[in-house]
Amino acid sequence: MKVLAPIRSLDELEMLHTAGAQELYCGLAPREWVDENPGPLWLHRRSPKGSSVESWADMRELADAARLRGLPLFATLNAPSYGPTQAPQVLRFAQRLSEECGVDALIIADVNLLAQAASLRLNARLHVSSVAATLNTEAIRFLAGLGASRVILPRSVTLAEIEHITGQTKDLVEIEVFALNDGCAFEEGFCSTTHHHSVGAFCTSLSGMKADFAWSGKYFSSRRERWLRANLEDYRAWVWYLTGNGCSATAKGLPYGPCALCALHDLARFGVASLKVVGRESSPFRKLASVRMVRHIADQVHARTARPVIIGNARALRQEPEHCDAGYMCYYQTAP
Amino acid sequence: MEWSIHGNANAARGIAGLPPEILFSRRYVGNEFCEHLIPSPDALRRALDDRLPLTLLTPYVSDRGVARLASLFAILPPGAEVAFSDWGVLNVLRRDFPALVPVQGRLLHKALRDPRVMELFSDPLPALRQSTVENHSYREMLRGLGVRRVELDALPQGFDAALPPAPVSVYLPYGFVSTSRVCQAAGLHYRKERKFQPGAPCRHECQTHQVVFTYANSPFQNQDQQFLLKGNTYFYRQTEAAIASILALAGAGAVDRLVIQPELPMHVLGAAA
Repeated sequence: MKVLAPIRSLDELEMLHTAGAQELYCGLAPREWVDENPGPLWLHRRSPKGSSVESWADMRELADAARLRGLPLFATLNAPSYGPTQAPQVLRFAQRLSEECGVDALIIADVNLLAQAASLRLNARLHVSSVAATLNTEAIRFLAGLGASRVILPRSVTLAEIEHITGQTKDLVEIEVFALNDGCAFEEGFCSTTHHHSVGAFCTSLSGMKADFAWSGKYFSSRRERWLRANLEDYRAWVWYLTGNGCSATAKGLPYGPCALCALHDLARFGVASLKVVGRESSPFRKLASVRMVRHIADQVHARTARPVIIGNARALRQEPEHCDAGYMCYYQTAP
Repeated sequence: MEWSIHGNANAARGIAGLPPEILFSRRYVGNEFCEHLIPSPDALRRALDDRLPLTLLTPYVSDRGVARLASLFAILPPGAEVAFSDWGVLNVLRRDFPALVPVQGRLLHKALRDPRVMELFSDPLPALRQSTVENHSYREMLRGLGVRRVELDALPQGFDAALPPAPVSVYLPYGFVSTSRVCQAAGLHYRKERKFQPGAPCRHECQTHQVVFTYANSPFQNQDQQFLLKGNTYFYRQTEAAIASILALAGAGAVDRLVIQPELPMHVLGAAA
C-alpha cells in the first residue's frame, strides 16, 4: 500500500521523497492549452495557475528526476469530458506525456479518452480517475475491459464497499483510495459545476445562499421549519469539515480532514494498492505535512501494529480529538 | 418527435414554453439520482400495465444497487429501454439482458451546467457547449456497445450546433446541477455525528419537502437564480428561452424525443401523486 503524493514542480520532489511519498501525480497546463482554453476550461480540473507543471520541458525534467529516485509519476488528464474541439489535442497530450516525457500512468475520467488512449498502446498505464464515479465491481469490469489498470474509487465508496470491490476485482485492477485532504459534498463525477474563482465551489457557495423550505404536506409548523433548518446547519458544518476545517491547520501545521488515517489498517487488509493525498494546488508545507502523516501511519500498518493502536495513534496525531469525535472529518467512518 | 412523460402527465399542462396539450407516447419510470428510489419489483410490474412503451431510469449505484436493478431488468419485456447512469449497469445489461435496449442517461452527459456563471456564458466558447457525446469516436464506441440513444440536459449555455446524428432525448423543464451519495434530507433522522454518511439508509425524507436556495450572494446580476434541492440532488428550472431553443432543435430534427418531468424527478414510483 503506497503513499501517492501531489506535486507541481521539481522543487517539491526531494521534499516529498524524503517525507515518504512512494508515487507522485501532477497536472500539466502547457501554453498551447491555456491559450486556446481560457476561463473555466481546465485541462485537468485545476486552474492552470499555481497547481500545474507549466511546460513540456519542466514535465520531462520532473519525470526524469522522479525516475532516478524510483518514484512512479502519473499525469492527470481527468476532466469529466472533452468535446470535439478539445479531444484530439488531449489525445496528443496523452501520447506526448507517455512517449516523450515517460510518465508511468495517465489518470483519466472521460471514457472516450480512456478508450482512445488504450487504442494507442502507450507505454503509460491507464488509471481511472475518481471523477469517473466508479462505484461498483461491474463498472470496474467495464473499465478494465477498456484498458484500465488502476481505478481510483470515489470518496463516497464506504469501507464495506471497498472491501467487497477489492475482493471481487483484485485480479483485474489495482485499487486506489483517498487518504487525506479535501472532500467533495457531491459525487464528484456527477457535479456539473465549475470551481472557477468567480464563484468558487458550488457546495461552499450554497452555504452563503438564502434557503427556504417547501413542505409537501398539509401542516408546516414553525417547529418543523426549525427541525429542517437545524439539519441544514448541520450540513453546512459538514461542508466546513470537507474543506479541511475551512482550509485551516492545527497549531503544529498539520492539515485537518477529510482523513482516512484510522482506516488504513482496514484498507491494507482489503488489498488497496495506493493511498492518495489530495492537493496539487496546496502549499509545499501542506503537502509535506500530509505525506508525513499518511506515511507515519502506513508504516505502522506495514509493521503489523495492532488495529486499535493504529486508530489511537491516528487520532492522537493532531491532538484535537474533538474534531475526530465530530464525525464529519472522516472519509470512512471506522468502527473502533 | 416523441413526447415522453416521467411523473404526473396532468401536471404537464401549463408548463411555460410547452404546448398546452401534449400527447405522450412513452412513459419513463424509476429514478436517475438515488439508489434508495429504485422502484420495487411490484411497483414496476404495475407500471408495465400501462399501454405506453416504457423506459426505466436507473441511478448510479453501489454493488447492492446493481443487484436490485438486475432484479428489475428480469421483469422488463424484451425491447424495453433502460437509461443507465453508471457503466456498471451497462455492463450488466450487455452481458445478462441483451433483449433490453440500453440508453445513455443524462448523468453521463458531462457538459458543464452551472447557472451561477450564466454571465460568463453570454458569448460562450464552443467547447463550453460541447461534451464527449459530440465526438465521433465516442458515438462509434456507444454504437459498438449497443447503446441506441443518448439523453441530455438542456444546457444553460445552449448546445453547439452539431448534436450527434443519433437518437437524442432532452429533459424539460428541469436540469440537474449536482448529485451526491450523501443526502441532506436523510440526515434528518440521524444523530448529528452520524449524519451525512454516503449511501446511508433513509426514510424517504426527500418526499416531504424540498429546499429552495436563492443565489443572493452572486457576484453577477443573477441574484434571483434558484437551486432546488430534493433529496440528494440539486436542480435548476430551465428558462422559457432555453425551452424554446430545445423545441427549435426538435423542430429541426436534432432532438427526436422530449422527456417532460412536470415535478422534480425524485418521486417514489407507485406513491400517490
